[in-house]
Amino acid sequence: MSVLAKGTYFWRSAAQGVRHAPFVHFIAVVTIAIALFTAGLARGAWGLLDSLIASLGSQVELTVYLDQAAAGWRAEEVAQALGQRSGLSAHVVPPEEAMARLKLQLGELGSALDGLPENPLPRTVELVIPPGLRTPSELKALAEQARALPGVAAVDYGEEAVQRLSSIALAARAGGLLASLVVAIATIVIVSATLQLAIYSRREEIEIQKLVGATDRFVKAPFLIEGALQGVLGALCAVLGLWAFAVFAGPRLESMFSFLLGPHGGPSLITTGLVAELFIGGAALGLCGSFVAVGRFLRV
Amino acid sequence: MEPGILAALGARAAPSAWLFARCQTPPWHDRGPMIQMFHVYKAYPGDPPSLSDINLTIAKGEFVFLTGPSGAGKTTLLKLIFCAEKATRGQILVGGRNIARIRESAVPYLRRNVGVVFQDFKLLPHRTVADNVAFTLDVLGVPRAECRERVMKMLKQVGLQHKASSLPLRLSGGEQQRVVIARALVNDPTILLADEPTGNLDPALTLEIMDLLMDVNVRGATVVVATHDATLLERYGKRTLRLEAGRIVSDEDGIKAARRMAAG
Repeated sequence: MSVLAKGTYFWRSAAQGVRHAPFVHFIAVVTIAIALFTAGLARGAWGLLDSLIASLGSQVELTVYLDQAAAGWRAEEVAQALGQRSGLSAHVVPPEEAMARLKLQLGELGSALDGLPENPLPRTVELVIPPGLRTPSELKALAEQARALPGVAAVDYGEEAVQRLSSIALAARAGGLLASLVVAIATIVIVSATLQLAIYSRREEIEIQKLVGATDRFVKAPFLIEGALQGVLGALCAVLGLWAFAVFAGPRLESMFSFLLGPHGGPSLITTGLVAELFIGGAALGLCGSFVAVGRFLRV
Repeated sequence: MEPGILAALGARAAPSAWLFARCQTPPWHDRGPMIQMFHVYKAYPGDPPSLSDINLTIAKGEFVFLTGPSGAGKTTLLKLIFCAEKATRGQILVGGRNIARIRESAVPYLRRNVGVVFQDFKLLPHRTVADNVAFTLDVLGVPRAECRERVMKMLKQVGLQHKASSLPLRLSGGEQQRVVIARALVNDPTILLADEPTGNLDPALTLEIMDLLMDVNVRGATVVVATHDATLLERYGKRTLRLEAGRIVSDEDGIKAARRMAAG
């Protein structure tokens, strides 16, 4: 038994199947293309959200307030203790610098601070948080560590804002995953239904194949190849659609959201990874659809 | 009988070949069983049994007619042999293998040794005659060049080599039946089952098809033909099993069976 001969036969049979019912295959390809295009856009939106969170997260700062009585060397000690963690940079802000910043922030009203008998602001240590530590749990742990140090009166890191940002990102991801799952299942159902039409028109052929000794795998193989081909073609259409979207709508969207994304803009919509994912996903969708469809016609 | 000698005679010499074979081949019971049934029943839900308590033995290389009125169970019996149906009860041995207990996955391998000529032809109308015959070999993974060669050889044997590129619907009923026979025989099966192979044919074509089946038998295949045509039974005089209401009511040679049918 020749594997090559069988392989050739499967491809020939799959090509014949496409020729036999071109409209049905066209519908399946379009369905897969729409699903993958939507998934690609969703991935793009995720990427945008990630970069948005990263850009907002870069402003996350942890401020350690020391006791009024704490001396400068104590502040240096705290800065050194916290700065030992990798990626953290600690900076001691003396009361004079804090007062100058406050005056700057208050603008014209800042002159009112000149009337104070003494500088009421404590020494602070400002920590710039690296991206890996910008999660709520890491920040909370860092704050606890800071609070335990001698001479520390209070710690502030905008806990609420960080938690809200993380919750939004998590909800967006979960919603996106759920939507992708629903779209994938709907696509498999539609592809399977359209393929069933194609297979139905060839049920006589399947019956004869089975009667002359074809195994289920032999009967299924050409249909699975057809399904995979549809998936790959659908993926190709989706990639082209995303490319067109990126070229024509991308610059307009970027300019609309530039105030959020900053000068570097958002991430690129089409990446090599995304293209690979779409092709693999398309082939998988086509395979699943044809697998479900052909199973019904094998009982001879 | 040397199958090679008869093969050398070619398909056109079939009538003389089967007569020769009839005189020369040893009695069927000397050659070991090919198909055996023991207390086989087949019933469809809500209907009376299609087959009841079938017991039979068909030897290797034997030619057997199944006869009986419509609905007697001839087609069902053939379907049991190539596993298109499962027996409700009883044991069926094909080539020594109990197919009543066969796994679903083993059925295709059994069918590769059983050629079937269907009553309704089951030809693919959009494929050429050659493609229809090649269907059996495609399933076996025979390389294309070898496949083409064997298909043409087979079509030559059934006298249709000049129609290889034609579509089945452009052929006469007899020609279509010969294509079906070619498809059934192209992979040299050990068993050939034919369900009313001459049912819709005129007398001349009927004899042509029957001669083909006889020739196949002479070459060594076990052949079972379902028919209700008494003239065939008488003409060929082969062992005849008569079915009535799902039971075997007689097992005798064709001449006796035909006379019994004619008598009433």
